[in-house]
Amino acid sequence: STLPAVAEELLREIKMAFQETSQVPDDLLLGLKFIFGPCAVPALDLVDQRSVTRVRSPSGRILYQVLGSSGKLYTCYSSCHFCTCPAFGFSVLQKSESLLCKHILAVYLSQAMGACQELAVSEEQLTNILLAEEEDEG
Amino acid sequence: LCRGGLAERLCRLQNRERSAISFWRHQCLSDDKIPSDKSGVLIVKILEIFEECTIQVATCQQLEQSPATLSPEDAVINAEEPILKVLFTRETAAHLKCRPQDVIHIYPPWQKLLLQNADVPVIMNTYFSQKVLLSEHSEAREKTYGLTKMLIKKNIISLAQTFRLDDVDAKLHQESSDNQVPCAPQTHNNSDSKRHPLALSAVNDSLLEMVESQGAVGWREVQVQVVIQRVYCLPAREGYRSHTQGNKPLCAAPVRNSDPPNVRLCLLVQDAYGMFSEVQLQSLSSTDDIEQFCRRWEGKSCCLAGMKVLQRTTRGRALALFSLIDSLWPPVVPVKVPGQSQDSEMMTTNLPPPSFCYILTVQSGEIHVEVDGEEQISNLYQPPAVHSLKEILRIDGCNERCSFWAQVLYQRLKTKHNVPMDQREMLLFVTDSTLQNVVHGIPKVVAVSVAASCVLSMEIIEALSAGSQLVFFKDALWGNGRIICVERTVLLLQKPLLCSAAGADLSELTGPVRLDELDSTTQANSICALRGTVVGVNESTAFSWPTCNRCGNGKLEVCPQDRELLYCNQCSEVVTTPVLKMQLEVFLSCPSLSQSTVKVKVWHEISTTLFVLLTMLLFLQTYEVQSVLGKEVGLLNCYVHSVTSHPNCAALEEIVLL
Repeated sequence: STLPAVAEELLREIKMAFQETSQVPDDLLLGLKFIFGPCAVPALDLVDQRSVTRVRSPSGRILYQVLGSSGKLYTCYSSCHFCTCPAFGFSVLQKSESLLCKHILAVYLSQAMGACQELAVSEEQLTNILLAEEEDEG
Repeated sequence: LCRGGLAERLCRLQNRERSAISFWRHQCLSDDKIPSDKSGVLIVKILEIFEECTIQVATCQQLEQSPATLSPEDAVINAEEPILKVLFTRETAAHLKCRPQDVIHIYPPWQKLLLQNADVPVIMNTYFSQKVLLSEHSEAREKTYGLTKMLIKKNIISLAQTFRLDDVDAKLHQESSDNQVPCAPQTHNNSDSKRHPLALSAVNDSLLEMVESQGAVGWREVQVQVVIQRVYCLPAREGYRSHTQGNKPLCAAPVRNSDPPNVRLCLLVQDAYGMFSEVQLQSLSSTDDIEQFCRRWEGKSCCLAGMKVLQRTTRGRALALFSLIDSLWPPVVPVKVPGQSQDSEMMTTNLPPPSFCYILTVQSGEIHVEVDGEEQISNLYQPPAVHSLKEILRIDGCNERCSFWAQVLYQRLKTKHNVPMDQREMLLFVTDSTLQNVVHGIPKVVAVSVAASCVLSMEIIEALSAGSQLVFFKDALWGNGRIICVERTVLLLQKPLLCSAAGADLSELTGPVRLDELDSTTQANSICALRGTVVGVNESTAFSWPTCNRCGNGKLEVCPQDRELLYCNQCSEVVTTPVLKMQLEVFLSCPSLSQSTVKVKVWHEISTTLFVLLTMLLFLQTYEVQSVLGKEVGLLNCYVHSVTSHPNCAALEEIVLL
């Protein structure tokens, strides 16, 4: 499949451009829109608002928490593409209509532009975050 | 959105781009010659095309010049020409209707992306694309393509593969991805499976075994051999909750698409053990012909692969589905019994009807319904049993599926005209020779109710509006003295190729159609014929109005230039010979229903001669009620609005049969 490689390359170019010029050129923004479609603008908005937090535990486990527009906190995994938001379950898992949801895209963009907030927690706290997500779903 | 933020900037860029695209498209429509300015234009020929997450990925060959300037012999794939991967958004692809062998001109601004591990460049932002047709070949190709390729292939993207934004060199990148533990099914190379479908694995013959052994993940590598018993469409509103591991539904409600009525093609299949399953395939557009799918697929064996379980449903929860399954039970040939060894063919026909059924769907968009056109009809196939309407009216049960062939005489919408297509309900009044030839005891015409859940193809809807039609009703439901068409009922215009027509008479009606006469047994929402004498006229309801003789538009306007003339704005022309339509309520005394007052709403055009006297009088605006009373009327065909006993009164409306 081609699309993940294309998405990855696009994000990498955004990172390189940002590192060199502290800016993202217009054509890369339009490229984001082309590949990610309706996710692009909301994801950029989340980055503008610094909504992505990288949560890290002493053992090196990482996950991302994204503050959604409704005020709800969504968890995105770092080891695979997963987000606890309903749009992910629907557009990505069920319908295969999108590669990512806006939260996961915001995570990547925040990484590329150094816009992640950092939070260090204990092992137990990280575990609780992961378990709490499961309980919420039920 | 944040002021000065990236999101705001992208919005602005996007709006600008959108205007540029629509302007460009508009320009393309107006001048259809290839523009002479070729700078920056990419000319590509599509070799193959797949869809990944709504983006269409086309593997193309870059051409030096447009093949329109070359002769057909020269337009051969030159192995040295560079290969590109061109991406199109779903909207652009729909506009272009890309197929392999198409030549596309891509105008700037497009973007090129070079991927790290691949030597094939990727072209994006291809909004300004235009298809160039080679006139001799294009038509023929469009036709053959339409018949063979009914399904779009999709590639599944693995969620296990995350994006690495670090600048690592190619070698390290490959190593680290090898070390990743695959936690999701491997991506499947579409083209391979397309060429060697059976190489996937041995073909199984039990649906139950496959479902229970593989779980909800999907059985991408396994194939099950089944017989297609029925093909039909279901409205997409009838969505099912999807399964995830742990039985937690991810999606609570089905999607109400804004596209034209969303309809899914479905199959009811049966395996060698007699077990049924409903397979939901792709969405159909209104132009797809369900009749063609039925003819090609029903009765044939096929291999199911790449399926996912949506739901396990039971008799109590899906009455409509099980009424169809019951009509196919018991199987016409003995079926295998699970647990017996394959060699000793211990088969039995005394099995009870099934109490559960799996609803399956295609997992990734790949549909491996390999149906060979020339293949034999399977022995397990039970074609619909066609009965005459007379026999159906005598069936004793409730919720029985029945099939019949009948002439549709009149159609009446039960819902209002502006209700969307997928919610309309209607009544079709039908008859056949067995009902027409009877003297008394059973009605001459039967009303068939078509519920909104019964999907009608555009062909049927247009045919019914055009005139009286012979229609095959497949798997309609009979119960409580009524025939209804619900989900899984299919209306077809052509006679079924195979059907057991035990008592049915598939011949056309000879002679004019007769309706039952209005009498004390007439019920509301039926049609009948009547004759009688005019005993009164409801003057307050009388009015006439001119209509356009071309299009029937009833709202004509006075011509501004000449106040004597009428103008129709639907035809945009003056109406020189308007047709006068009239509406009037008359009270009749009918010998067949002597105890009641019969009120008939009469519609007439000036050109018919049935009710001439009254017509002429109204037109000339000089009518006197006295001269109309006592006139004989009949035989009028009418739709019965209501029949009440206290007071004894029947309200009808004159109709014109199809």
